[in-house]
Amino acid sequence: MKRNRLWMLLCAGLLLAGVIGCLWVARLSGGEIVEIVQNGTVLYTLDLARTENQIIEVSYQGRTNTVQILDGRICVQAAECPDQTCVHMGYLSDSGLPIACLPNRLVIQFADTELDGATN
Amino acid sequence: MSTMKKRYFRWTIPVLLLLVLCGCGNHTEHAEHNFFALDTYITMQADGPEAGAALISVEELVTGRERQWSVTRSGSEINAINHSSGAAIMVSEDTVQLIHFALEQSRQTNGALNPTIYPVLTAWGFTTGSYRVPTQEELDELLPFVDYRNIQLQENTVTIPVGVQIDLGAVAKGYIGDEAASLLRENGITSALINLGGNVQAVGAKPDGSPWRIGVRNPFTDGNLGVLEIKDVAVVTSGGYERYFTDDAGNVYWHILNPQTGYPAESGIASVTVVAPEGKRCDALSTALFVMGPDRAEEYWRDCDDFEMLLILEDGCICLTEGLEEAFTLNGGESSREVTVIRHET
Repeated sequence: MKRNRLWMLLCAGLLLAGVIGCLWVARLSGGEIVEIVQNGTVLYTLDLARTENQIIEVSYQGRTNTVQILDGRICVQAAECPDQTCVHMGYLSDSGLPIACLPNRLVIQFADTELDGATN
Repeated sequence: MSTMKKRYFRWTIPVLLLLVLCGCGNHTEHAEHNFFALDTYITMQADGPEAGAALISVEELVTGRERQWSVTRSGSEINAINHSSGAAIMVSEDTVQLIHFALEQSRQTNGALNPTIYPVLTAWGFTTGSYRVPTQEELDELLPFVDYRNIQLQENTVTIPVGVQIDLGAVAKGYIGDEAASLLRENGITSALINLGGNVQAVGAKPDGSPWRIGVRNPFTDGNLGVLEIKDVAVVTSGGYERYFTDDAGNVYWHILNPQTGYPAESGIASVTVVAPEGKRCDALSTALFVMGPDRAEEYWRDCDDFEMLLILEDGCICLTEGLEEAFTLNGGESSREVTVIRHET
């Protein structure tokens, strides 16, 4: 009888842990989670809704991209690259396309969006 | 333990082993792989047997094609043609096919697509990033070289006169997208989405059978204007917003040039989205229809039956062909836009 109760408690504990885990994952996969990726490696994962305004500098082969987080939005403020495309892209939007700096192999993207892709 | 229980127990392990082995035989997996190539950021996802390995083989295909077809990379076949000083250059069968397709599309669109526009594009600085407005004299000197009929393709050799330069950028990404989709299908992949920096190529539907949801960029501001739901087709958009510069007087100049004038094409279209089974057709037409303008684009669509299009006009109105009526949904905040459905005459 005691053993049965122990098993029930263990199962309930596992169930509770599972529910908490699911809620945690669901919270992370919202549209506000962004990744700063360099050459395929995720350098930062940030929740824009909870991240304070700040500047993040990311360097690649001696060249730097200055990433700005301002009032829950993210953009490349300045870039040591010839084309400046990433700077001109402005703030990361829900368009489904990431901000990409080709020369510096930098990508800023939402971790999860409701779209599967986007044309440009 | 009773005899009954023992019998159940005896069967449990073989049944579990069988289930495990069945699972091993299928190898179905979800894989994602992103990389930089073709002057853009490429994202891919696939579901199927050995999906990860299939995506790696797509990357090898894409980087190989970049080596062959890049206009700037020394050693590429296109670069060799552009530096041939009028001599015949022998090229691979793949390059013959690509040039053949580009010429066919140029003929079909009456030169609205023009693979010889490259010298004019360079004069504007769109190939180098050093933007400037060329003088009319410069354009007058370059325009005689802008004619797709200057490209002579005979068996495996290509000849262009001195002064002519070719760039297959308006069809190559679409062509490579088609090849990538074929490669995935050959590897047993039934569900995949490849995005070559905005050139979208879908293999089948999503793994649950629902259509892929593709955002169509708002050409006037950040974000999307609406969503296209697609299965097993390609989608390509061309718009002036992609690459442009503004001069000191505030005039905006974009990279899609009218081959007749050498100036940015001002046809009344802000962006063109083409949906078709083949990415190369989408790629070629998205540029050509932008140059043609809405009336000629509509006429061309009526003459063909192998693509659908969505035009966003400079005045903000949307024209889409009947095949996209069900597939396209405007975003909530855009519902006040005027939408016209172009239908085949009955």
